[in-house]
Formats: sequence, structure tokens, C-alpha cells
Amino acid sequence: MKGIQAGDPDALSQLYDRYNGILKALILRVIHNEAEADDLLQEIFMEIWNQAKNFSAQKGKPLGWMVTLARRRAIDGLRKKQAYARAEERLQNETEQQPDAWVHNATEEEIVLSDTRTLIRKVINGLPPAQQQAIELAFFKGMSQREIAAKTNTPLGTVKTRLELGLKKIYDGLKDLRDEL
Amino acid sequence: MNFEQFQNQSRLYVIGALEPEEVEEFEKARKKFGKKAEDFITKCYDLHEAFALSLRPAKSSAAIKDRLMAMVKAKKES
Repeated sequence: MKGIQAGDPDALSQLYDRYNGILKALILRVIHNEAEADDLLQEIFMEIWNQAKNFSAQKGKPLGWMVTLARRRAIDGLRKKQAYARAEERLQNETEQQPDAWVHNATEEEIVLSDTRTLIRKVINGLPPAQQQAIELAFFKGMSQREIAAKTNTPLGTVKTRLELGLKKIYDGLKDLRDEL
Repeated sequence: MNFEQFQNQSRLYVIGALEPEEVEEFEKARKKFGKKAEDFITKCYDLHEAFALSLRPAKSSAAIKDRLMAMVKAKKES
């Protein structure tokens, strides 16, 4: 990030190589459209380049900052298009079609990321399905508690409890991973 | 609001899931707990990284990077 803050395009190129796959996966999870995800990915890295001066290592790590930025842009895009219905339909289709083997000739860094992913998935998959669903809708769809309650036909208080319990379990489950993130 | 309640609210806050009427109370508690609150919120943002890292990375077209770097170069030269 220091290189990018200093205006070095090579630093952005390296950052792109390292994190484009993660950010693209996040964007796709929100908007479920390959071409739109590519366009958004390009815009997000341009924003990273333009906004790098606002990044402060004291307030968090670069990946966290980039994920926050990418998620916000993706959810904004989703809301603008009001594509919830279409996205849900695609989500159902794509969930069954996702390739199992993304890693091919994996580098050491990719293997570490893959191990990290397995551990995080284990924590998330350990949650009751209702808690997973509430978190999925809040984080990847940007829905408020009221919107989740309406969508899942669940009392608002129950949604709040599911989110609080689920997020606490994930947060606690990540303690061992925190140094790696 | 005690600190445990603040912690629960913080995890909702970082994913944008607090309702508008909860945000006001949260901000008051945030001021009340000061640095301890800010440190905890910063840690909560690890949840963002975790959710992103839980996904299988997706491939992007090489043209995206080419376009991006061309835009950066043009901006730098302007």
C-alpha cells in the first residue's frame, strides 16, 4: 500500500495480482453477473488507486479496507439495478455449478489462502442454517434487519438474535486465524 | 449500554446491519467507551476479510488488468 500511496503503478499491479480473485469472488457473490463483476472490479481497483491516501494501517489491514470498499460498491450496484430477484435466481443456478477446483498449479500463497478459506468455511458452516442465512443476507446483500425479517418471514427480534449470535461465533472462531488475516 | 452489548452492536455495525434507530445509541456508546470501542470496532472489520476469504477466488479476464493499468498510466501522465 505504501507503494500505491507513493504513486507507483507497479505496486498496484502487484496488489491486483494478489487480490483480484478474492475481490472478484466477493463482487460475484453480491451481483451474480460475470461481465458486471469485471467492470466493477476494474472500477474498484481504480478507486483503490485514487483513495490509497485515505488508507491508514493503524485502522486496519489493506485487505480489510479493500473488501469494505468492494462490498460497498457491489451492494450499491445491486441496489441501483434492483436486481434482487434475478440475482437470487442466478444464485440458485450457480451454487450448483461452481467449479470445485479453482487452484491449479497453486503457488504457496494460494495454498495458504486455500487453507485459510477451509478454516473460515468450517467456522461458518458450524452455524445453524438460520444464522448463516441471516448473515448471508446482511453481508452479501446489504439487507437491514427489517428487510431480512420481511424476506424470511421472521420476527425482527429473532433476526437480530440470529445475527448477533452468528457474528459472535464467527468472530470468536476467527481468533486463532486473526494473525493470518 | 454495557460493553458486552456494545460488542454485539459493533459486529452488526461493521456489516451495516444496525437499524437507523440503533445507530444513534451505538454512536453514544462509542463515544462513552472511547479508545476501547475504536479498537474493538477495528477488530470487527476482520469479519469483512473473513467473509471474503471464505469464498473461492474467481478468475478475471486479463483485459481487465490491462485496461486498469492503462487508465492508471494515463492518469499519472495527465
